[in-house]
Amino acid sequence: MVRDITFGQYYPGKSVLHRMDPRMKLAATFGMIIVIFICKSFPALGLMTLFTLVAALLSTVPLKMILKSIKPVLIILIFTAVLNVFYSKGGQTYFSWWKIEVTEKGVNTAVFTVIRIIALVVLSSLLTYTTTPTMLTDALERLLSPLKVFHIKVHTLAMMMTLALRFIPTLIEEIDRIMNAQKARGADLETGGILQRAKALIPIFIPLMVSSFRRAYELALAMTCRCYTGGEGRTRMKQMKLAGRDIACLVICLIVLAGVITLNIFFKKVI
Amino acid sequence: MSNAIEVKNLTYYYSEGTPNQVAAIKNVNLAIEKGTMVGIIGHTGSGKSTLISHFNGLLKPAEGNVFVDGEDIWQSKETLRGSRFKVGLCFQYPEYQLFEETVFADISFGPKNMKLSPEEVRERVLEAAEFTGLRKEMLDKSPFDLSGGEKRRAAIAGVMAMKPQTLVFDEPAAGLDPSGRKELIKLIQNYREKTGCTVVIVSHSMEDIARVAERVIVVNDGEIAADGTVDEVYSHSDELRKMGLNVPEITQIFSKLHDMGYDVPGNVYSVEKGAEIILNLIGRGCR
Repeated sequence: MVRDITFGQYYPGKSVLHRMDPRMKLAATFGMIIVIFICKSFPALGLMTLFTLVAALLSTVPLKMILKSIKPVLIILIFTAVLNVFYSKGGQTYFSWWKIEVTEKGVNTAVFTVIRIIALVVLSSLLTYTTTPTMLTDALERLLSPLKVFHIKVHTLAMMMTLALRFIPTLIEEIDRIMNAQKARGADLETGGILQRAKALIPIFIPLMVSSFRRAYELALAMTCRCYTGGEGRTRMKQMKLAGRDIACLVICLIVLAGVITLNIFFKKVI
Repeated sequence: MSNAIEVKNLTYYYSEGTPNQVAAIKNVNLAIEKGTMVGIIGHTGSGKSTLISHFNGLLKPAEGNVFVDGEDIWQSKETLRGSRFKVGLCFQYPEYQLFEETVFADISFGPKNMKLSPEEVRERVLEAAEFTGLRKEMLDKSPFDLSGGEKRRAAIAGVMAMKPQTLVFDEPAAGLDPSGRKELIKLIQNYREKTGCTVVIVSHSMEDIARVAERVIVVNDGEIAADGTVDEVYSHSDELRKMGLNVPEITQIFSKLHDMGYDVPGNVYSVEKGAEIILNLIGRGCR
């Protein structure tokens, strides 16, 4: 049950995307997400969708896993689609009843927004599917290192993130264990109203909190014992190097950006 | 008479449907008779904990069936819930399940879930607390203020208070010092003698198991590798060693002595018994 959370889970593989420099992947994903929002016309969005599809194919992550990542945002998708259909008005009217009207513009905006959100989710999950969390935070630390000029402790932030990510599976395991222990004592987590269910979580969260604090203290102690003092003078075991495929990715991203801008100019704007 | 627990063709996979899928339990058949004391041993990661999580339906088998008291527990919601009360499962490090404000409230969590009357709950809590050696004044304390050993006993009391027909302990003595271990094993033995319930103890300590169990089941790599009396199973020490298990040191010494031609039995599992036999032997020699 708890194990079903796939958002942000690494999917082992050896594809081009897996082998890419995480800094480039992170920067490219970030950039392309912005490009998704630059898209104003259907052909531009189509190009972006094509880019997302190709990336998904290259990643060798099974379709099932990718669809699973969309599942958590399904409600948001339906909600935005419905809102857009009814609220943006203009163009030909397809259907009208009392004050409710479904127009061409409404349908177009709804479809556009839904595709946009799906592309957004798929792109970002591709990043986490093909990059281990440690690589990701390492990349983040390197990309943010210029902020040191402003006395921001980039290393500490990255370390905090690494630790937080590192403990997600541990905590999931812990929740699983505590849930099993309480279920074995007859705790009923599945039935009842919202209030009852919220109450049923107390026997799970209190032990979880207690053990999280214990873990945090133990970890801090262990780090101190190994003379951890922060980022000063630390070297890396795995050096990151930009390779040909990273440059290729950059070029492709730039071409897509140019394409999107051109298509925006030549075709009718939807949003 | 139906068996306390019966498992038929049980198979279970970890991470089913992902590339990391591994068979944790492979086609296991097992029956535990009522009133017996069974030890399950196996090396870390052999699947013993996964196996016992099927006994009260915490895990759903990929294939096969689990019967508690002759009833298939996955038949309906009621049988599943019923299995939770019929089979009390006490996990490894059970002290991490404590959550209530007082020890009393924590022990009563299980009985309360059984929808018993407040008087009945109170009675059961007091009984379980007495049994596990928790003093009355401890019951009003916060469980987080207890010592490690006391926490462990409070958690065990929480399972015992449900008065299950079968009690399953997963590594009950893990992390305790030798005297704590002995005390706890003694406690479980006493409990069983008093209530006559079925007890299953999972451990990798062959010594603890030898001390209490009537029957030993060896789990290796998700399969049952051996099943028999303590003597039967422990006589195959070479095979056990291959599975990463070691017969107790005292047993090794005595089987060597036996092989060397001394008049001692080869099946000695506790130091106390060994000392007695050696003293007897020396006594005879002096005469």
